[in-house]
Amino acid sequence: MPAINQEICTGCRTCQTYCTVDAILFENKKCHIDADLCTECYVCLRMKVCPENAIFAQDLVGFYKQFQHVISDPVENHGVTGVTGRGTEEVKTNDVSGRVKKGYVGFSIDMGRPGMGVYLRDAEKVAMAMASAGFMLAPQEESPLAALMPDNRTGKLVDECHDYRLLSVIIEGRCELKKAKDVLRALQKVEKEIDTVFSVGLISRVDENGACEALEYLDELGIPRPHRGKVNPGLGRPLSTD
Amino acid sequence: MTHSLHRSGDIESQKTDYVWFMYQTKGVNDVDIKPKALEFIAVAEAVGSENWGDVKTGPKLKYSIEEIKDNLSDKSRIRGIFTRKEQVVDFLKQIKEKDLGMSVIITGVLSEVIPACKEAGVTPHSINYSLGVWGKKDNLPSETTLSITTMCGHHMIPPKFVDHVTRRVKKGKLTPEEGAKQLAEFCYCGIFNHVRCADIIRDTAAATAEDAKG
Repeated sequence: MPAINQEICTGCRTCQTYCTVDAILFENKKCHIDADLCTECYVCLRMKVCPENAIFAQDLVGFYKQFQHVISDPVENHGVTGVTGRGTEEVKTNDVSGRVKKGYVGFSIDMGRPGMGVYLRDAEKVAMAMASAGFMLAPQEESPLAALMPDNRTGKLVDECHDYRLLSVIIEGRCELKKAKDVLRALQKVEKEIDTVFSVGLISRVDENGACEALEYLDELGIPRPHRGKVNPGLGRPLSTD
Repeated sequence: MTHSLHRSGDIESQKTDYVWFMYQTKGVNDVDIKPKALEFIAVAEAVGSENWGDVKTGPKLKYSIEEIKDNLSDKSRIRGIFTRKEQVVDFLKQIKEKDLGMSVIITGVLSEVIPACKEAGVTPHSINYSLGVWGKKDNLPSETTLSITTMCGHHMIPPKFVDHVTRRVKKGKLTPEEGAKQLAEFCYCGIFNHVRCADIIRDTAAATAEDAKG
């Protein structure tokens, strides 16, 4: 993890401007990185922000520290999925992978985004709420978070990870279209029970106008219709037609 | 990752902001991708993609195009931005014609992207719709700051640095374009729209100046 050499730090506080999650604290005329707040995104290291070169990398000790870094820093590849960034492919390859087929919808829940960060205990609350509503959480091969989930039918994470903070992490999976309303209701309930934010993506096969049946559920639940989307125009091969 | 999906800010401003991706599917077409990636890059350059990059090297605003191309590997992710719908149409038309077999994504305002697909002769297969931000929103940065930080969806751009750059522009120490390029360097994927960012900073600085007069 990044740390600040207290002998070199002049207390100029420049580094605080560059921290993505306000994890650099100023005390006793010196700056230091709070290990509980730091998400291991490495922006302070990569951007070489300290005029005195006082910021240095320490070894990431233990699985959870390494997990934190790999997920928070998009330059790293996630070991299991092989994907950079937050380690998921979601709609981007759905034209080939066919993960979300007709009659199903997917959700990608960006926990901690935009920019608030997320303790894994909050990610667990959301994952468990979704699983209880009939959502099938993605397995390890598709989703890095599942590496911390002994049973992806429940969404429960291993207790040891709860106090680790990530810049963001994605909860991903799919459910039958008929269960989409239940999952959205579960999200509406659990959003009041967590100490951070999340951004919601709804993934679906669509018609030629970019519409799908699941959008109609949004009106019923008081959720505004989306104006943005990530559109996959079906140019990948072999094309999944399911 | 859904890092291009949840951009925020004024809708008209978002209509000057499109993100393109080339994507390989694990276990299907993820080996020896470099020749295809080079074809995507050639089309993106021909169409005038203002910023693009590979997360394994960085954005073209910071690194030379040759360096990014040299470093391409099967772990690369090629992606970038357009600022006009016409570029999206041209890009999709040319990529369709080349029939490279890699997945393509265009992220943006749906009322612009869907017509662009039609004009290019491609049919949407799937969409990841943004349903916005949920949860405890009290401590989020201002909407103006978010409209800049969310252009790096991995949130590599510190909100305090946005404030710092905006202040320097207001004081006349940086132009909006110089400030936007400094911010773009944080986003390794190359999908930070520095053109839109400069417009946002310029508008913010002008509004503050008006407030000071009033």
